Amino acid sequence: MERRVVITAASAITPIGHSEKEIVSSLLQGISGVKPLRQDDLLAPHIHCGVFGTVDYEIPFDFERRYRKTMGPVSFYACQVAKEVLEAADLDRDFVTSGRLGIAFGSTHGSPTVQRDIYKIFFSGSPGDFSSIGAVDYLKSMVHTTAVNIAKMFGITGRVISSCTACTTSSQSIGYGYEAIKFGMQDAMLCGGADEYDTTTVAVFDNLLACSNAYNATPHLTPRPFDADRDGLVVGEGAGAVLLEEYESARKRGANILAEIIGFSCNNNGGDLILPNTNGIIQTIKLALGNASIRPEDVDVVSAHATATIMGDIIEAKAIHAVYGDGPYVTALKSYMGHTMSACGVIETVLALYMMKEAFVAPTLNLDRVDERCAMIRHVRTLERVPLSIAAIQNFAFGGVNTSLILKRV
Amino acid sequence: MTRDEIKDFVLRVFREEFEIESPGLDDDLRERYGFDSIDAIEMLGEIETLLNSELSQEEKKRAMDIRTTNQLLDYIESLARARE
Repeated sequence: MERRVVITAASAITPIGHSEKEIVSSLLQGISGVKPLRQDDLLAPHIHCGVFGTVDYEIPFDFERRYRKTMGPVSFYACQVAKEVLEAADLDRDFVTSGRLGIAFGSTHGSPTVQRDIYKIFFSGSPGDFSSIGAVDYLKSMVHTTAVNIAKMFGITGRVISSCTACTTSSQSIGYGYEAIKFGMQDAMLCGGADEYDTTTVAVFDNLLACSNAYNATPHLTPRPFDADRDGLVVGEGAGAVLLEEYESARKRGANILAEIIGFSCNNNGGDLILPNTNGIIQTIKLALGNASIRPEDVDVVSAHATATIMGDIIEAKAIHAVYGDGPYVTALKSYMGHTMSACGVIETVLALYMMKEAFVAPTLNLDRVDERCAMIRHVRTLERVPLSIAAIQNFAFGGVNTSLILKRV
Repeated sequence: MTRDEIKDFVLRVFREEFEIESPGLDDDLRERYGFDSIDAIEMLGEIETLLNSELSQEEKKRAMDIRTTNQLLDYIESLARARE
């Protein structure tokens, strides 16, 4: 049994806004959400990178204590976008708790803020301090904390998938949610990912010489995907969620169908755990097109992973060109907010839905002078007002994991 | 430590840490206020602070049968007595 799968609600908390209106406005006006790195008493003073894709606005969380008590900051983000998606979809309460709705949601580490507090106790040197580790600290910091906090809050009883593959976490969430519905195992899936503000991640990429540090005084000028003067990625925070439903039941209940998911692929490079791999990406793109039964020329826009590392962007441009030529528009949405890690796949999917709805392609920010090694593809350098039928969202992660999702306007 | 002092302590912790206001002393804490096993573990930490004494595993396990505030007061009273 193969069924059609559609997206019927979407929400994101991003460095460029929370509501659809704010996010679209930032994209249309070219507003960056990259800000100075917040100082902390741990790592920030030692990190060369001084910028972060920051959520610096208030979010009106109104969760009761019985839900809050097992949440670290990452789960607050996750539950907020989940709540907004379920409210927007207006699903019948009986359906939500029926077991026919599942969850695919993840984060990179659980809550690193809570983990840090636990380690502080471990290394305090005082055995008596161990009892101050909270009973809920594990529940806040375990890798599937976002998925199960969402399940608890809304009484969701279907299957739980909690991928934790760093930068492909939430694209996998959507892809595996899509497959669960497509093959009849669930009728709907709440999918997404989240990551909270965390300087540990910045330190890791900083040590790998992968972080931007030449624009610390002008955060909005970095990251610079595909630009000749790019100097690395910018870590960011955020969350996103989409509700996937089986097409016929969504149509019958009069759901607002934002797009259909027509293809998904996931593979591994089978080698290096850090460097992207041209052939691995080419295969991912081809697998997704094959899964969607479309040709490369059918794709209108590619949302590139494009983290703005020197080698990563060149390898991705080569792979895009090898399959798509210079046909589809290519935009790098991380240029607006940095790399939101586990959230990037779903946030870029939500932004693609907004662009499809409003008929535009946001230009890659800071792409002032295209690196000639990346110049063979159709970069979007100014706002393109154009109807979009099919969008491809590609993401790659440490560990050699690649994904491609293909959306079609219905 | 008097029972009234223990009661004041328990009601303050309920209010400040668990958002439970003035519970009936014989209310089922789980059914009425969603007080679950996680909350019970947190409450044991508060009791250790009150008594300035670590509870043994056996003492902690005894707490898992507590259902009402009155039973909780009995439990803390017995712990306090054992430490006199």
